[in-house]
Amino acid sequence: MKSSNRHIILFSIIMPILIVSVFLFSVSFGTKSIPLSEIFNAIFNFDENEANHQIIWSGRIPRALAVLFVGAFLAAAGAIMQGITRNFLASPSIMGVTDGSAFFITMTFVFLPGISSFKLVVISMVGSLFGAALVFGFASIIKNGLSPVRLAIIGTVIGTFLSSFGTAVAMYHQISQTITMWYNSKVHTVDMDLVLLCVPIGLVGLALAISLSSAVTITALGEDVAISLGQKTRTVKVLSMLSVAILTGTAVALVGKIAFVGLVVPHIVRMLIGVDYRMIIPCSAVFGAFFLSACDLISRYVNFPFETPIGVVTAIIGVPFFLYLIRSKGGEKYAA
Amino acid sequence: MPHKKSKWIFTIIIMFLMLLAAMYLHLTSGIFTMSTSEVFKTLLRIESTQNFDLVIFDLRLPRLVTAALVGMGLAMAGVVLQGITKNALADPGIIGINAGAGCAIVIFMFFFQVELIDVEISSLVKILIVPIFGFIGGAIAAAIILFMSYKYGRMDMQKLILTGIAINTGFSALTLFWSLKMDENDYQAAAIWMNGSIYNSNWYFVSAMLPWLFILGFYIYRKAYILDYFQLEEETILSLGISLEREKIKLLLATVGLVSACVSVSGSIGFIGLMAPHIARQLVGIYHRYLMPVSLFVGAILLVFSDYVAKTLFAPVELSVGIVVSIIGIPYFLFLLVKAKG
Repeated sequence: MKSSNRHIILFSIIMPILIVSVFLFSVSFGTKSIPLSEIFNAIFNFDENEANHQIIWSGRIPRALAVLFVGAFLAAAGAIMQGITRNFLASPSIMGVTDGSAFFITMTFVFLPGISSFKLVVISMVGSLFGAALVFGFASIIKNGLSPVRLAIIGTVIGTFLSSFGTAVAMYHQISQTITMWYNSKVHTVDMDLVLLCVPIGLVGLALAISLSSAVTITALGEDVAISLGQKTRTVKVLSMLSVAILTGTAVALVGKIAFVGLVVPHIVRMLIGVDYRMIIPCSAVFGAFFLSACDLISRYVNFPFETPIGVVTAIIGVPFFLYLIRSKGGEKYAA
Repeated sequence: MPHKKSKWIFTIIIMFLMLLAAMYLHLTSGIFTMSTSEVFKTLLRIESTQNFDLVIFDLRLPRLVTAALVGMGLAMAGVVLQGITKNALADPGIIGINAGAGCAIVIFMFFFQVELIDVEISSLVKILIVPIFGFIGGAIAAAIILFMSYKYGRMDMQKLILTGIAINTGFSALTLFWSLKMDENDYQAAAIWMNGSIYNSNWYFVSAMLPWLFILGFYIYRKAYILDYFQLEEETILSLGISLEREKIKLLLATVGLVSACVSVSGSIGFIGLMAPHIARQLVGIYHRYLMPVSLFVGAILLVFSDYVAKTLFAPVELSVGIVVSIIGIPYFLFLLVKAKG
């Protein structure tokens, strides 16, 4: 397909420019604007006594990096889920995966306070697996449970259940406010240590996702085709879920719950470059990085000088998109 | 069906007794301990002290009445929604009417600073206006749902619920946005209310809600027979000479009003409208004239009992009743999904 090739070339030229500029904007803008020259100085000739340099390294850069990578992780997780389940509504936040993470993290706060960050990341990943297993396990025992719409309903309801249960336990231990803050406005508290801990783990998940991408393309053609082509479908599914759990788990541990990125981005990418998951997964990661960084930038300006939770911005972009998907694809069985 | 009427009356009596039991639990328990005889003496004005009067008449009774009324309102809304959509999983919370009403109310609170905790007479007018704002928000949500889920003149049930989920998320995000713009005191009030709680209820709220419940409830009950027709095939209904869509819209608007009145007092409480009609249908069958009153009782019992759990389970810490209802309601929803065919 010539036109999609051209799109891919265009995509790979434009995206890096967009990402670098949104990154620089993100570091430069905030309650205190910092000129670009200062940013370069802070990066290349760091001076401890310079207040701006301190702001840049302790606040701005970790935050900009965090949203950049979390956007990539969530979008890649959404892309791989949509491919494997052939479900156009599949995404970490709708299928209960982020809620699973959040639930496990809440329980950890309550019962194992003061746990190390590394263990928290691992627990967050286990929680992702738990949420996914609960939703898909339940979906597979009911009739038509794996159809896009049913699965979305089950995912949402089980997700709500997990978060209600978590809230109840948190209320009992009187830390519900801490927990709410943790999930909704964590972006500006991210520090460099957490970024350096989470990003490498997430990158492992991303590498796994990309290495699975040709298998996902085959799976997206349908289970029968995949089997007849000699694919070990079960192995592919297990490995995909593992990569989704790693990606979502690190994302939640890093910045809390952010919805719709994993849903919206793969669809936009599919519109731009076609249906081959070998391209969709890496391009989703790249576009997701840009998308979430842009949302983070918007979130600082919606109600300036007060911060708006980034999830509000992604929801306000994501909900109309979600409605559009239901409207345009709701009647069909499969997405890709 | 006349031969079922005796069974129906029997069911109603049992329900009434269960509601009394739930109310008794609710009224007698709380942080301030009172013996049963003290409660009754205070209620019946046999022997009253100022403390007991305060606890019973200003704190526990309004809360109890609110819980019962909201339970009834949500249950009735659930019956209507399940009737007109022919969808057993419809519930005002799930399809986003709660969230729409809630969002509009938070925006109202942002601009007019309604004191939800200490109510003065001067703010009574504001309290009376709140349900109207809720109605606007709820109606917007309902309009989006209708627009999204109609295809070729029919409602697509799966899309209905999905749209509801989307609307829920969208309005919750907007609500969060507006509530964070509030100053601290207003935010506290809004946050408590949003989670679905009735613990700071008072007689003003009850009086703001009552006219809506009475008028719309009566209207809907009079139209109950139409809900029976909706269960038939569309062609059959048209041949009966009922203008189907007009009746649907009218009933839907009445339902939005009912839900908004409930939401304006108690915040968003889901799943009562889902559970109550189902339980009632198991008990008395599908004829709405019988089904509706039983649903009201079931709704009231469920919410009074849930609020009792909310205030006693972790006492002295209060859970919000919305969370208690979700934890009970979601497994029930999943159970219904398992049972549903196709």
